[in-house]
Order: sequence, then structure tokens, then C-alpha cells
Amino acid sequence: MIEVAEEMRSGWRVVAVRGRADAAAADHLESVLKTAVEANAKVAADFSALDYISSAGIRAVLQAARAAEGRQSEFAVCGLSPAAKKVFDMSGIQHVLRIHRELPC
Amino acid sequence: MERAFGQTELTLDGDLRELARLALWIGRFCRSHSLDENVEFHLNLALEELFANAIGHGGCKDLPAAVSIRLSLAGREILAEFADRGRPFDPADAPPRDLGASLEERGAGGLGLHFVRQIACHIEYHRVNGWNRIALRLAI
Repeated sequence: MIEVAEEMRSGWRVVAVRGRADAAAADHLESVLKTAVEANAKVAADFSALDYISSAGIRAVLQAARAAEGRQSEFAVCGLSPAAKKVFDMSGIQHVLRIHRELPC
Repeated sequence: MERAFGQTELTLDGDLRELARLALWIGRFCRSHSLDENVEFHLNLALEELFANAIGHGGCKDLPAAVSIRLSLAGREILAEFADRGRPFDPADAPPRDLGASLEERGAGGLGLHFVRQIACHIEYHRVNGWNRIALRLAI
């Protein structure tokens, strides 16, 4: 179960995701991030209130990153907790994503 | 047979919405044994990945009481015993994930089991009376 709040900040669409990005929430997460990427040139996924992420959540982020790549828009992942960061690290996709400690805006 | 201390068991239907109940149950187990958030995160991740695989690939989708999980503490390890009544599936048969491959070559498949292998220090599999029984040991 995730909750999403979006706002514009210095040219970035900031998508703040709160809760658990598990297999039950992955479709919701993917649709929110892809919609943002399709409508904005710069999207930052703010995961600072994300308590948990599994492979299903990682896949959702990956799909958004691919959509951004296809449109040549910027997609940044920010604010990961150490535990969530470790899941990204284990997945190996951190090499193809822009992961920031802080929001870019 | 040695009886592990503080054992607890949960039965789940073949529905991803059961993940909320799984997470609550794991949280209670961790709090009652003073296990930290990191251990709780890893337990959630390993058990969700096995559960999601059983539903997505094992034919457990929509089966009532498809999965049964037991957790216990044994010394400095957690024993997580995961059982599902899906198709026979030994996690050891799944090919290792090629992290060197590019995103496009690799796709997103197999990631869940890759996580389980990273988290568990020991994985055992048996097929017993129509059930897959996967025993994970996680270091605390």
C-alpha cells in the first residue's frame, strides 16, 4: 500500500511515495511514475518516506526509468533509506538509474 | 527433534493482498523477539519474494490456504519455513542472475529469488506430500 503526493519544484515534478512498495502496490507505483514521466521532462521520485521495497517495486521503478529513457526525459530516485538503498544495490539497477541522496531541486 | 524457541505460524491465501497481513505478522514476531528493523525488512523481502513467486509462477493464485509460514529463533539465526501447495519448484534450479548484463539483456525476471539468495545464509528445499517446503536461515 502506497500513498502518493506530487508537486512541481524548480522545474522538477516531485513524486513523493510513502508506505510499502510491495507486489500488491507495484502496479499503482508503476502507473504513477510512468504517468509523471510521460507528462514531465524532469521527474524526481522522492522515496524518503518509503518504508519498504521488494523486487516488484524495483521493477515498477525500472519500467518508469525505461519510459523516461525512451522520451529522453530525466528521472531521478532520491531519499532512499539505507535498507531500501540496499535493495536497489542488490538488484544491480543502481547503475542505470540516477540515485541521489537529496532531491535535485 | 529440537523444538525451536518462540515458534509462530501463519497461513495465507493465494492473493497478493495477503502481503499486508504477512507484514503485520512479521512485525509482531520481530518486536516480540527484539529484532531490529533491518532484520524485519529482510524477513519481509525474503518471504514476500517466495510468496509472490508461488502466486505468479507456482499456480497458487486464488487458492485458499495456499501458503503456510513458520518463523522461529535458533541461536543467532532465524529459521523461516515457507510451504506452498503450488507446482514443484526448487529455488536451486533457478539460474543465477547475471548482474553484469545490461538492463535490456537482463530484463526484470528472477530478481526476487536473487534477493532471497542474497539475504538467506542457507536455503533448503524438499517436496513433501504435494507441498514445496523451503527452509531459509537468516543471520541476525
